[in-house]
Amino acid sequence: MSEENLKFTETHEWARLDGKVVSVGLSAFAIEQLGDVVYLELPKPGDEVSKGASFGLVESVKAASDMYAPIDGVVSEVNYEVADNLDLLKTDPYGSAWLIKIESSDPSQLDTLMDTDKYEQFCATQVDQ
Amino acid sequence: METKKTPFYEKHLAGGAKMVDFAGWLMPIQYSGGIVAEHLTTRKSCGLFDVSHMGRFIIRGGGALAFLQHVLTNDASALDIGQSQYTILANESGGAIDDAYLYRFVDHEYLLVVNAANKSKDWAHLEEQAESFVDVVMEDVSDDLAMLAIQGPRSHDILESIMEEGSLPPDKRNCLTQVKICGGDVFLGRTGYTGEPVCFELFLPVPIALDIWDSLTEKGAEPIGLGARDTLRLEAGLPLYGHEFGMDPEGREIPIYACPLAKFAVSFAEVKGDFLGKSALIRQAQALESIRKGDTSAGDILPRLIRQVVILGRGIARNGDPVVEENRTVGHVTSGTMVPYWEFELTSDGVALGDFKGMRPIALTLLDHRIGYDQTIRIQVRGRDVEAMVVRKNMENRKGPISYAILPE
Repeated sequence: MSEENLKFTETHEWARLDGKVVSVGLSAFAIEQLGDVVYLELPKPGDEVSKGASFGLVESVKAASDMYAPIDGVVSEVNYEVADNLDLLKTDPYGSAWLIKIESSDPSQLDTLMDTDKYEQFCATQVDQ
Repeated sequence: METKKTPFYEKHLAGGAKMVDFAGWLMPIQYSGGIVAEHLTTRKSCGLFDVSHMGRFIIRGGGALAFLQHVLTNDASALDIGQSQYTILANESGGAIDDAYLYRFVDHEYLLVVNAANKSKDWAHLEEQAESFVDVVMEDVSDDLAMLAIQGPRSHDILESIMEEGSLPPDKRNCLTQVKICGGDVFLGRTGYTGEPVCFELFLPVPIALDIWDSLTEKGAEPIGLGARDTLRLEAGLPLYGHEFGMDPEGREIPIYACPLAKFAVSFAEVKGDFLGKSALIRQAQALESIRKGDTSAGDILPRLIRQVVILGRGIARNGDPVVEENRTVGHVTSGTMVPYWEFELTSDGVALGDFKGMRPIALTLLDHRIGYDQTIRIQVRGRDVEAMVVRKNMENRKGPISYAILPE
């Protein structure tokens, strides 16, 4: 899956809108920066999430990091397969490594996120920190 | 302060290392293969570590031995030429200023290796203490003498294959020799910080440092970063200053005897005489003995002990996570991570490692001394209770040249 139609948060989650449903995952940059991801903690379908609040946890050998929802809504689907096959994060971050789907009543909340070009520029300022 | 670079800096970059500031040094946290692969490589093959950021002090002079006996907890007089020992710089209250390694390569001087993060603190402390002694000369040789570690089952053969003169130390921890590699004099110690039974640390002149690095990597030694150095030492249950020594997560000083390795680092031998922290350490040693006998009244001296645990539930315990019993905090995680391990088979010849088997979360904890081995505990990991078990060890490294994982039943 390509990076088309993606929106990015400053905390390195991506979001893709399809009708009323927003798929959410971690950017390739985030995964590269984390190093080996060894553990994922994901919410359950039906859980409420809100924009900017933690919806789960990604852990590398070194540290734990929260993952933040890009939009308000209710979790409609969870990709537990990726938690069991963490390599997918590296091999297909924008496709089969989606993490959750959120049903949102206000998709326009995504408008404030970065598009792919803006996000690439943003990442360039984040390296070597 | 400017970040310093070791002589191997360019090698790290060439290896695709992710560099971080560690105690004022620009060091590789990992190379392109990643922490998990580096950990596994060290256990099965041979890992090469740049540890030149550590502090290296030479202590010489007629008063050197008396001085070392006073500022270090171990018995320095027990070292023959060609031997080394684990030791601690203690304070009067029986806490650690730092943990260190003391090497005696030659007759007239000692080499003390200390943690990078504590180097200036240690130096100031030692200088101050040295004022009370006659004929003690201290020299900081950290910039003149590079330091590498090569660890893992293949490291013996790899090291031997590049040696020009001399011989490797005997297959016994803490033995030392002096050899010639790449035309230069290299001091070798059978020491390390990975728990590997086959382990060496090299002290080498800076001018030949890069040649030695290249020779070792050409023979198959793989560069390993600080990330895997930490997971390796944690799996082996080895303490790290700032986690298992120093202050605990509640800001109290951890007594030296809380750490199980202390008994190898502290000596009350008569020949040693009085030393910094001795009376506090005697009380701690006695308290530990009573705890072993099941007497819990010594709890005020050693309320908590460093214990290894394996996490049974889902989640990774991290430094500072509380251990709870009913509504009481009975300890803390001091270091925690997830480590990879090889499948293994115990054969009549020893151990055979197979394929990559999986990952397991483990931790070191500072736990109420009443909690014993095989007991189940609950760790609060980000607000959620996760079950864990106190174990004697998480890996076996005393049965031959290859170490392997010990898994909960």
